[in-house]
Amino acid sequence: MRILLVEDESKTADYLARGLGEAGYRVEVARDGLDGRHLIEEADFELIILDVMLPGLDGWALLRLIRRHGQVPVLFLTARDAVEYRVKGLELGADDYLVKPFSFVELLARVRTLLRRGPLRERERFQVAELHMDVLKRRVTRGETRLALTNKEFALLQLLLEREGEVLSRTLIASEVWGMNFDSDTNVVEVAVRRLRAKVDDPFARRLIHTERGMGYVLEDRG
Amino acid sequence: MRVPASLSLRLSLLFALVSLGLLGGLGAYLYHALGEQIAWRDDQMLQGRLERMEALLDDGESIAALRRRPLLYANMLGNRESLLWILDTQGAPLIEVNPPGLPVPDLPPAPEGRLGAHPAVESTRLAWRSLEHDGRRLTLVAGKTLGERERMLAAYRLRLWLAMGAGAVLACGLGWIVVRRGLRPVRRLAARARTIDVTHLHRRLEAHDETAELRELSRALNQMLARLEEGFAQLSRFSEDLAHEMRTPLGNLLGATQQALQRERTAEEYRQLLGSHVEEYERLSRMIETMLFLARTEQPARALPRETIDLRDLAEQLCDYFEGMADEDGRELVSDMQGRVTANLDLLRRALANLIDNALRHGRSGTEIRLVSRREAGDWHLGVVNHGAPIPDAERARLFERFYRGDPARSRPVGTGGLGLAIVRSVAQMHGGEAWCESDTAVNAFWLHLPAGDDDRVDSGPGRR
Repeated sequence: MRILLVEDESKTADYLARGLGEAGYRVEVARDGLDGRHLIEEADFELIILDVMLPGLDGWALLRLIRRHGQVPVLFLTARDAVEYRVKGLELGADDYLVKPFSFVELLARVRTLLRRGPLRERERFQVAELHMDVLKRRVTRGETRLALTNKEFALLQLLLEREGEVLSRTLIASEVWGMNFDSDTNVVEVAVRRLRAKVDDPFARRLIHTERGMGYVLEDRG
Repeated sequence: MRVPASLSLRLSLLFALVSLGLLGGLGAYLYHALGEQIAWRDDQMLQGRLERMEALLDDGESIAALRRRPLLYANMLGNRESLLWILDTQGAPLIEVNPPGLPVPDLPPAPEGRLGAHPAVESTRLAWRSLEHDGRRLTLVAGKTLGERERMLAAYRLRLWLAMGAGAVLACGLGWIVVRRGLRPVRRLAARARTIDVTHLHRRLEAHDETAELRELSRALNQMLARLEEGFAQLSRFSEDLAHEMRTPLGNLLGATQQALQRERTAEEYRQLLGSHVEEYERLSRMIETMLFLARTEQPARALPRETIDLRDLAEQLCDYFEGMADEDGRELVSDMQGRVTANLDLLRRALANLIDNALRHGRSGTEIRLVSRREAGDWHLGVVNHGAPIPDAERARLFERFYRGDPARSRPVGTGGLGLAIVRSVAQMHGGEAWCESDTAVNAFWLHLPAGDDDRVDSGPGRR
């Protein structure tokens, strides 16, 4: 999976390139708009991450150029959290945006979602280790034990299962499970995960839901 | 036309203009009155002359006799302006006194006597009368050329113009002086206002010793100054608080990092450190995001996208969200909210979430938190009612200020960083409303007021207090 990152701030570009590389993507970095244009015209990418404030040629111009070339997904980064900016970006054909400062986990989640787009299918069954979920029957079992979950606990577990192995930030969880799309500073998500864990993990020997300090939560079988 | 910039100049010019109009009107009236008076007097004289001629004829003097006594009428006429004709039936002059040498007038018969101009010569005035004398029809004509009268009136006119001009100039000058004097309090006010700057915002304009109009102005300006001073003080306090609030996480980051660098650590210790750093960074980032949010809400009346919101659904969503947290503390979230309100969904949700969060933080464990809605005269009041220790009046007033944290012993360290309720107030103000808190011995209620018909009140933006 090749990703083009157009970002002029060198520290940002460095850590993003490193992080995306570690997550298994091949990343090309363009440090200004003209470089970016060159790469867009020369090579094919599966995803383009675009800072809109660029020297040389700004992100909007690049976005227009990209849309003339094809339908590759574009995620734009902006330091300005004004509504006009978001609207402009989305109108020009960007697929998603992030406002700086953003968390890396958040970026990774968006990148994965954008790259997954297309054959996204609602799964009806999940299984991790001996944990089973049947979405249609709303049944969750672990081994022989049937787990009684509330609606929101069920939704949270389903989200973790759908993104098995991915670290999910608190913000993402709040917005996916409760539709609360602002950066709330309450520990609602922490509490919810703790309560879910009490049912899913605590009575059993092997833990499936893990806390990544400072990042979020991940569900995976770590053996 | 461009209006002159100086008020004094403008007023004195207006003064001059008004005086000119008045003097002009008066002058014109006097001039016409005089003209009419003179004309009337002349007509009287001409008619008198006709009567005397007639009397002479009636006394039996024949025309021939009269002709022979030229001295009689020459004396009587005596100057070069007067005219006299006695015409026979054919209009030929029997007697003629005509120093300017005008043609003999051809006049219609007038047994009753008539007045008019000479049919062939302008600026003359004639009086004539037809009568029978010795079996003949005669026409007596007395007249006057008007040259002298016109010269006199012209001289009078000239004088009037001069007087008017002088009057206007005088009025302008006097007006200037009067206006300058009259505007002296304004200059005093300006001088006083000039001494007020950022470091002297406490100064006020003196309102009591001014004229009534200026007193009103001074009062209004003083009120404006008071508002500015308050806003300015709030702003300074706020920058100070902001710096302080940012110093805490920065201090943690700096200190913890330096402490960790004292010696080699295990990978796990480094991981712990970085994790703790992320938490501090998130705190900072959230603070900045909130600050930006608050700053944006203070921009004057930006169009706020609104939609119809079902309160019951919104309350249910919020209860769902906070249910776990409430449950942990043995508390229950109960919603009595219902109805439809027109507002910005994201903002309203955020404000209510902050109120619930606030209630969870400060309320007593094991009690219930109630979400209520009330409609009064079209206005919506949305409240979060909570059981807890009463909040003193002084504190209640400041609760909605940024970074205000109430009793330091009571509040828990992590949290909204003292901005949660400030956001609630901002949201209320963006909708043209207000937020406040009621407190009695057992119950604290936080209210969000959303005025009705906000769409036709575009001007009541967030800037209003």
